[in-house]
Amino acid sequence: MTSVFVGKASEIPEGEKKIITANGRSIGIYNIGGDFFAIRNTCPHQGAALCTGITTAFINSSGPGNFIHEREGEIVRCPWHQWEFDIKTGHMVIDPKKKTKSYDVTVERFDVSVEDKNIYIHL
Amino acid sequence: MGLTEDKLLYKKNKIKRTIIDSDIHNYTSLDEIKKYLPRVYREQIDLWGWRLPGSLYLNGGTNVGQRADSVPPNGGFPGSDLDFMRSQYLDPFNVEYGILTGSDYSCQATPDADYAAAICSAINEYTLEQWIAKDSRLKGSIIIPKQDPLLAVKEIHRFGPHTDMVQVIVASGAEKPYGNRFYHPIYEACVEYNLPFTIHVLMEGVGINPPTTGVGYVSYYPEYRATRPQVMAAHLASLIYEGVFEKFPTLKVVLQEAGVFWVAPYLWKMDEDWKALRFQTPWVKKKPSEYFLSNIKVSSQPLEPTPNLEMFRQMMKAVYAEETLLYCSDYPHWDFDSPVQTFPKLEDEVWERVFYQNAAELYGLPARKKDDGGIN
Repeated sequence: MTSVFVGKASEIPEGEKKIITANGRSIGIYNIGGDFFAIRNTCPHQGAALCTGITTAFINSSGPGNFIHEREGEIVRCPWHQWEFDIKTGHMVIDPKKKTKSYDVTVERFDVSVEDKNIYIHL
Repeated sequence: MGLTEDKLLYKKNKIKRTIIDSDIHNYTSLDEIKKYLPRVYREQIDLWGWRLPGSLYLNGGTNVGQRADSVPPNGGFPGSDLDFMRSQYLDPFNVEYGILTGSDYSCQATPDADYAAAICSAINEYTLEQWIAKDSRLKGSIIIPKQDPLLAVKEIHRFGPHTDMVQVIVASGAEKPYGNRFYHPIYEACVEYNLPFTIHVLMEGVGINPPTTGVGYVSYYPEYRATRPQVMAAHLASLIYEGVFEKFPTLKVVLQEAGVFWVAPYLWKMDEDWKALRFQTPWVKKKPSEYFLSNIKVSSQPLEPTPNLEMFRQMMKAVYAEETLLYCSDYPHWDFDSPVQTFPKLEDEVWERVFYQNAAELYGLPARKKDDGGIN
């Protein structure tokens, strides 16, 4: 496993992200509530730069006309078709189990560690 | 397609089991139902006529849309004579149960909701007395004044307890798409009596209803037929996106006579859009096609023939026909779909679902009285 230096923890405050290139792969590193998560910056749907989409909440509902914001800051919506992905797992929220050879809706995720206030991702 | 009598007989004999037909138009003539109306309306009609809107278009067949051979021996209107309906259709085609859908929905397009309610009650009473009471194969539809949902609910409470009235029926032409919460009291009542809500093409562009299409009135009858799915598609999307099936999970809705196979790409489109736009209507918890599968049925008539059998089988799968399709003849209308001629040969289990079990489950009808034969 290769460890790649991302930057200082202070560079990515809570609710923010940083996109880096590591070993030729574009990866987004997110700070959600003080914990860091990294996902591949590629949407499995049509290849858009996933992490350039908005970071937001999951909007749930108890019935018509009702909106409930849950999991604040844990969702990225792809910039193209607005598919929602769970930043913590890389799974598409509404269809997390759907996996076929030609149609994989899971985004590659990477382990992240913070050592001496430096952030590393492990590829 | 012309068929000799021999060929028809040969095909007919291939029906080994009885069928349920979910769309038979008994003639609910205004003249017949007039005596069931309150005095005030009978007198108004005598003085000023029926004041109900009529069709804007031509029709097919003869006698405004009827099979030319369906005039009873007494010279009455097609669908008006139970004995002739028996001998021409119910008996030879082994109909175990037939769902009557009536013939006149014009009251659903009048602005006077109280008058509409009175006419609906009259039609429902007439249907019970003159049809259902006379042949146990026949089941009725509760027509409602849908322009006033609270009056509609009263009508459902009135006839819902009658077990031979097996669904609520409305015309496709409507002031608002049927998912709108304006209509939700009707669905609450449907669920209470376990009655499917059936949307039957008719009355688009007529009376108080909006034009036949979203871009206005079409000019000709075949053009009107071609655009019926547009209105039905709007109702289907509305029912799903307004969250009707989340609010009323047991409600069943039947899409009647707007065609069948257009539904397939429409569902594919809705499913794809749901992935992208789910968060705008988060009360839509499932893919639209899942609601279709769990809550919607589609009448088979008028079935679209496909260029080849392989495409037919694919389209049947694409609309989940084994779960959703109800055989409908539309007797005695000119575009009647014969139980023996309309479908290409189906696998036995598919035939059984389409021609019996889907309707039996939907309407709570019993299994066949006899396993093999038809009606005695």
